[in-house]
Amino acid sequence: MIVKKQNLTIALFALLLPVASAQAHHAFGAEFDPNRPLLIKGEVIKVEWVNPHAWIHIAREMEDGTTESWMVEGGTPNTLLRRGINRDSLKPGIYLVVDGYQSKDRSNRANGRNITYSDGTTLFLGSSGTGAPRDGADPRERSQ
Amino acid sequence: MVGCSESETDPIVSFQSSLDVEQLMHYVLEPAADTIWDSAGTIATLEGVEDLAPTTEEGWFRVQHAAAVISESGNLLLMPGRTMDGDDWQEISHGLVSTGASIMTAAEQQDADAIFDLGGQLYNVCVACHQRYWVENDQ
Repeated sequence: MIVKKQNLTIALFALLLPVASAQAHHAFGAEFDPNRPLLIKGEVIKVEWVNPHAWIHIAREMEDGTTESWMVEGGTPNTLLRRGINRDSLKPGIYLVVDGYQSKDRSNRANGRNITYSDGTTLFLGSSGTGAPRDGADPRERSQ
Repeated sequence: MVGCSESETDPIVSFQSSLDVEQLMHYVLEPAADTIWDSAGTIATLEGVEDLAPTTEEGWFRVQHAAAVISESGNLLLMPGRTMDGDDWQEISHGLVSTGASIMTAAEQQDADAIFDLGGQLYNVCVACHQRYWVENDQ
């Protein structure tokens, strides 16, 4: 009965904390669509090195030769530092390939999973435990 | 000031809270956390780099105020009617108290780097709580 009571309590708390209440510090499923994977290639034009998530702004190269401005959410700066990404390696002017998932509202926003630099180096951009799909990008999930 | 000191003879009082947990998050914790997160870090563009650290005494006071709110909110989460269990909930709440206190100290010292690092620590406390207690409506 203890387990049932606990589940009920958690369910009640879930009702108390609807997804819509979280903005800056949301779970993956609150904003991004696991069924909308995408690749974003282009020049980095802006980097917000801020908590709770770093944001990379990219001039995405489109098939017709135009560019679109996209925002890609990354993990916390402290998390990115542990993965080898810092302000010097992630700065405006560099070319990146990002794979991630588009936002549920279909705006030009995405949750980044991996970034690949021009030299072929690929690093994990996200955070663990956010509810993102277990797609093999997170090294912590691979080791479990 | 006798009434302000802690002692074994503190009177037993009753609580009369006006916010549920969701409202406490929305109206108290989230704005304070946003103030702290918006007060450290950089925004880099092709034209240059903007440092978000406060540049005035008023700006630093806003961070101190937000840190104080975070710290004491940890205790608000431990009030009767809000506590979810006796172990993890208490540990996470105490994490808010200690992290908020550390951010207050960093703001008093106008240490922007420490506030940035502690902002990440604050997020980890948030995530620990959400992973333990927050079930998304769409799952």
